[in-house]
Amino acid sequence: MTAKNHLEGLKFKAQFDLWGNSLPRSELDWVVKLRHESMAKFLQFGLPGPKVEAWKYTNLGQLNSGNYELITSADNVVNETGLLENLKGSKVIFTDGFYNKASSTIESQNGVKLLSLNDYLKDFPEAAQKILNKNDDDSSLQSLNTALMTGGYVLFVDKNTTLTAPIQILHNTTTSSENKSIATKCFIDVQENSFAQIVEIFIGADEQNYWRHHVTEAIVSENAVLEIYQIQEEGKKAIHTADTHVDVGQRANFKHYSLNLGGKISRTEIKPTLKGLQANVDLRGAFLGRNGNAHDVFTHMKHLCPEGTSDQIYRGVLDKGGKSSFQGKVYVAKDAQLTNADQSNKNLILDRNAEANSKPELLIYADDVKCSHGATVGELDADALYYLKSRGLDQNAATALLVEAFVSEVYEEIKLEPLRSKYLELALNWLSKEHKK
Amino acid sequence: MLEIKNLHVEVGGQKILKGLNLNINDGEVHAIMGPNGAGKSTLSYAICGKPGYEITEGSVTFKGKNFLELEASERAGEGVFLGFQYPVEIPGVSNINFLRAAINSVRKYRNEGELAAGDFLKLIRSKAAELEMDPEMLKRAVNVGFSGGEKKRNEMVQMSMLDPIFAVLDETDSGLDIDALRIVADGINRMRCPEKSILVITHYQRLLDYVVPDFVHVLANGKIVKSGDKSLAIRLEKEGYAGLGIEENVA
Repeated sequence: MTAKNHLEGLKFKAQFDLWGNSLPRSELDWVVKLRHESMAKFLQFGLPGPKVEAWKYTNLGQLNSGNYELITSADNVVNETGLLENLKGSKVIFTDGFYNKASSTIESQNGVKLLSLNDYLKDFPEAAQKILNKNDDDSSLQSLNTALMTGGYVLFVDKNTTLTAPIQILHNTTTSSENKSIATKCFIDVQENSFAQIVEIFIGADEQNYWRHHVTEAIVSENAVLEIYQIQEEGKKAIHTADTHVDVGQRANFKHYSLNLGGKISRTEIKPTLKGLQANVDLRGAFLGRNGNAHDVFTHMKHLCPEGTSDQIYRGVLDKGGKSSFQGKVYVAKDAQLTNADQSNKNLILDRNAEANSKPELLIYADDVKCSHGATVGELDADALYYLKSRGLDQNAATALLVEAFVSEVYEEIKLEPLRSKYLELALNWLSKEHKK
Repeated sequence: MLEIKNLHVEVGGQKILKGLNLNINDGEVHAIMGPNGAGKSTLSYAICGKPGYEITEGSVTFKGKNFLELEASERAGEGVFLGFQYPVEIPGVSNINFLRAAINSVRKYRNEGELAAGDFLKLIRSKAAELEMDPEMLKRAVNVGFSGGEKKRNEMVQMSMLDPIFAVLDETDSGLDIDALRIVADGINRMRCPEKSILVITHYQRLLDYVVPDFVHVLANGKIVKSGDKSLAIRLEKEGYAGLGIEENVA
């Protein structure tokens, strides 16, 4: 039985029946059992269809009709395409969804445990079962991810530990990704008074048609800081869905930055739960789309405790044939008094044949809170454009400068300099590509 | 340098300039005065190619080139600068990046290479100092949160950096206190030389005490109705437009 307005997703079941037992760690009974249970759970609901409110702007019909096959193994050949230079620290690479040991470098640090998901399943079965069996999936896609997961990473940062350098996670693809579904899963646990930064890059070739589904489950304990920086440059035909669930503890800090550039369909879901007093969450992102890109950012901020603060800033730039949506849901529980929740989504339309949707949704049950939201969709300011032109900048240069300014607001607070420049460089490249067209 | 013949301009279907003639030779400073709604700003935008200012008749020739065929940015490349009555605020773009982009765009238009970063910084520091601008303001977003005087001073810094051969200054003096006025006037006077020309559009005679024009024109009803030397400005200030038999704001 499929849930209302959901698509059956039976092709994934067929693939799972064929290849499920060849997925990693099938020698471990509990893993096999978990995969089967998760598949059953997925089938109860199916894939969310376009009539499901939260999926109004993202049509997964292609996943249902296309016959996406599973990848059961990958060559461990060196493939560092997409790795950021100028960043120190561990580098963990996944090629076609599998941990690429030959290309990765893991630097050891006291109090920090960083290992591949499949090693974790084998070496720490009890802890792994505990995490995976938490059973609090809030979407059928998450269940499907558990059934099909091929790789991922697990990061534990002990109390009072500051990561000496950001960890870079790279997800790239090879020609084997053609018509495949790639499911990766990771867990991050940052203990009290600790600090961790993760840079996560998704990259793929324009030729291959694949679905990458990436799930991150994170815990940020009291007084700790976790910062995740994502860059999405998937291939033109790809479907990219990335979900991040995070529990944020007392006086803990979670920051999430994203830049969506690639893919035919991209969906970035971020669901922070502010579970402790004075927890703080900042979400920042930009999405740039044209020529058939459809980007969807979906956030669900859950304020459960008093005095929490959350701030969301998203900027969209849509050129000819680009489409986007931002859906920002903020929930403030009855007890979460003195919450301060802000949200801003501005979109710039560079062509008449582009579409931007923006949908704030505020559910506030506490009576002493400050919540704000703002959404705009507009064109470049004609007066500003003329002012720049009167100083000698031609149409393209003037447009680029204004769009850069529009996007840079999102990334200006980033302290990791190579990363801030990278974000801006990517945005500028995106613009100049258009001008060459 | 600049030759305007029988210029007719419409904005949003409304006829603003109705047959304006003006000739500016190398090294001359001309002032245009006139009542509100006479078409003073329209003239400056028409010279500098603002979209929406439709030239229905006449010609604008700059250094022998048909200026009306050029984009606004190309006109800047030819060496024309427009000082805005209301300089535009551009959030997110720092003054210094803006100026670097502007200078290099103009250099590109003239087939000159980009200015080296070090040379650019030296140049901008010296120009800011000359015009008494706090160097911190160079890092701030273009005109955002600037006072009226700071915005106009910023226009002068831009003009000085771009080093035009012809400047149109559209009510650059409006809204300035006496110190800011002195600085703006100083910026204009620095530009004066036998090779460069300036068109000052102003409402008040006050600026002309500091920047002494070679010619003064009165613009009313879309045409130049009277021309003379600096004494015309003084007469206007004393007697008003009515005293000279000019109707104010017919539209």
